[in-house]
Amino acid sequence: MTAVIETEGLGKRYRKLWALAGCTLSIPAGHVVGLVGPNGAGKSTLLNLATGMLAPTTGTIEVLGNRPAAGPAQLARVGYLAQDAPLYAGLSVADHLRLGAHLNPGWDAELARRRIERLGLDPKQKAGTLSGGQRAQLALTLAVAKRPELLILDEPVASLDPLARREFLQDLMEAVAEQEVSVVLSSHLISDLERACDYVIVLVDSRVRVAGPVDELLATHHLLSGPRRDPGSLPGGLQVISASHTDVQTTLLVRTSGPVFDPAWAVSEVGLEDLVLAYMKQAARPVPGNNHRRLEVQK
Amino acid sequence: MIWLTWRQFRAQAITAAAALAAFAIVLAAAEPSLSGVYHSSGFASCHGAACTGLASTFINDLSSGGGIAGVPETPYMILYFLSVVVILIAPAIIGIFWGAPLIARELEAGTFRLTWNQSITRTRWLAVKLALIGVAAMAVTESFSLIQAWWAAPIGKAVGLGGGASIFSETRFGVFVFPTHGITPLGYAVCGFALGVTAGLLVRRAVPAMAITLAIFAAAQFITPLVRPNLFPTSQTVTTIAAAGANVSLNANPRLAFTATTVPGHPGAWIISSEGVNATGQPVSSVPAACEPLVPQTNVTHIGRGPTTSAPGPNALNNCVASHGIRVAESYQPASHYWPLQLSETGMYLALALALAGFCFWRLNRRRS
Amino acid sequence: MIEFHLDSRSGVAPYRQLIHQVRHALRLGLLHEGDQLPKVKDVAAGLAINPNTVLKAYRELEYEGLAAARPGIGTFVTGTLDGGSLAAHGPLRRELQRWLVKARRAGLDDESIEALFASTFRSASEEDIA
Repeated sequence: MTAVIETEGLGKRYRKLWALAGCTLSIPAGHVVGLVGPNGAGKSTLLNLATGMLAPTTGTIEVLGNRPAAGPAQLARVGYLAQDAPLYAGLSVADHLRLGAHLNPGWDAELARRRIERLGLDPKQKAGTLSGGQRAQLALTLAVAKRPELLILDEPVASLDPLARREFLQDLMEAVAEQEVSVVLSSHLISDLERACDYVIVLVDSRVRVAGPVDELLATHHLLSGPRRDPGSLPGGLQVISASHTDVQTTLLVRTSGPVFDPAWAVSEVGLEDLVLAYMKQAARPVPGNNHRRLEVQK
Repeated sequence: MIWLTWRQFRAQAITAAAALAAFAIVLAAAEPSLSGVYHSSGFASCHGAACTGLASTFINDLSSGGGIAGVPETPYMILYFLSVVVILIAPAIIGIFWGAPLIARELEAGTFRLTWNQSITRTRWLAVKLALIGVAAMAVTESFSLIQAWWAAPIGKAVGLGGGASIFSETRFGVFVFPTHGITPLGYAVCGFALGVTAGLLVRRAVPAMAITLAIFAAAQFITPLVRPNLFPTSQTVTTIAAAGANVSLNANPRLAFTATTVPGHPGAWIISSEGVNATGQPVSSVPAACEPLVPQTNVTHIGRGPTTSAPGPNALNNCVASHGIRVAESYQPASHYWPLQLSETGMYLALALALAGFCFWRLNRRRS
Repeated sequence: MIEFHLDSRSGVAPYRQLIHQVRHALRLGLLHEGDQLPKVKDVAAGLAINPNTVLKAYRELEYEGLAAARPGIGTFVTGTLDGGSLAAHGPLRRELQRWLVKARRAGLDDESIEALFASTFRSASEEDIA
């Protein structure tokens, strides 16, 4: 399967600070990819590099096999929804659809019209008077109706109330089911992504910590709990992601490709949220020699 | 993209059309009475070059009598002044309200993330916007100019024949008349627009960009008249004080200066500078000793047609200075250089506009953020 | 047509929950052979879950012989779940009641009974698989 986004050692530096560093990914097509990480981790930077809004400082990035924003044809294949769904406040809903129709050769007017009707949006209403959820829905319509091969959504539900959030994700899943489109969406909350994503990338402190299909990640990560062990005497062949000790008990979150045979350990499954949190905690532990500081993306 | 450009420009286009319509209506309404004075002064029926007297009469009729309560200026003077001001500031208005927000508003509101990710490159987006709105800018400004020129045609004719006075004294080479007539408004309009767009792109916020555009435009208004005389090769001639219609004028220290009003053999010429020279052509910088007593006690520069003080007037001074063999060296642009100068100045501003536009294309494609 | 729901806190994978709900509906007689299961698009949109999850559940049902996909039309129920004849339920119920009386007499409280039942049930299921 071809990769929708392929990066090799990708990095972006603003003056002295690295917003993204050493990013090597190969995101396969046909998935809904969740890009999760705390604020300032580099999610927006990665997505901006993918849409061609930014140029890399080091490394390379290829989207659908081409340089991002290489020309009108490439721009037509990627749909983008920016954070806070920017729209023209003075233009009506219908005007925005006309914008899409005039600026995109692949525009599906029927799809756009159907969606707007189903969403109950008044075509004459100015975009500035829409609610947050309606704006996100309109912006999603604009991105989806140009029939892209890849949809990139930057924190699409971050500022929405829970109902609008759910409705947006419902809408997105319907679009994914209807069209053959790969999706990359970012969020700083894993709960937003759990139901929708079948591929996860954890980005903390400008570096990718773990990436892979959700099924595979859940199958290869386990929670081991057992009697208190010395940190030095932990079983080999296991990659320990996080460890916590009480005076009598040790709990480990490990990554392994094979089953755990040691009968001393009680093995249980890990939920996606706990898995992501463990990687975030691991990143927060200071590692000697790491001089990459956090950078908040300036808005 | 054409649709989007129009849709986003719609409000400004309607405002400009309304302003243009109001301008035309006001001047059209005032045309019959101007025409009336034109005919009643007898200037209308005078043809040929010997009509200077009637020209003066016409201008005087426009400038005197029948003012509005307490205001000395007549409606014609006010209308003339305001109409020239409108054409003068139109490029600035265009730069501020059409140019500065063009890119800056998109950056401020974040809508560039929407529009520049549609299936259109930034280059194409900017090219269509610059082309369509640039042409509109030129058309609007030139329309103002043509309408005003139509209304003020009799005045222009009178001034051209030497009959100008007070507010109507500028010839077509004048500081306020040259940039508002002919084809120079085209260059100013498109350059003002390009200046606004560039400021908006660099500053990334609309209101500061508007202020910067206004400041640079104002500065250009001061600098251009200094550059203008040199946009085309000037001509020189040396002639007598009398033939130059010159009067001695004195600066801070009794330096000798002249204010010439005509170039013999070149009616309608634009006199750029005039200075005194002696018989061998050397510049003379001070009043001859023998003429000192004729210098008025208070240093007064007389500009215009004749002495206005009592005591030894400029005419006596003129004759004394002339009798010492001092003549006037004039640097001027003949009337035939009017259109070459217009083309040079318009071309200069068009070139500047293109350079600014080129910079904008380059800068827009730099993917920093 | 049945409607799915999802319990995100149950710890059971979403696709498994969908499978359980189909089997449960079959047992209760809400679904019969030949009925159409909800379209993938509608389930994904209704629950805001990945369409692949729904596809996975439907594929699993196909593998178990309970459903079959008709391309372009939808997925239809093809099998039934044998709940066992009702006749067997009676004696089993009476045995269970006797066992419960014995457990109480041994001093087990409700939670101990549940824990004992759950662990025995689990290890028995695992033995079945092994």
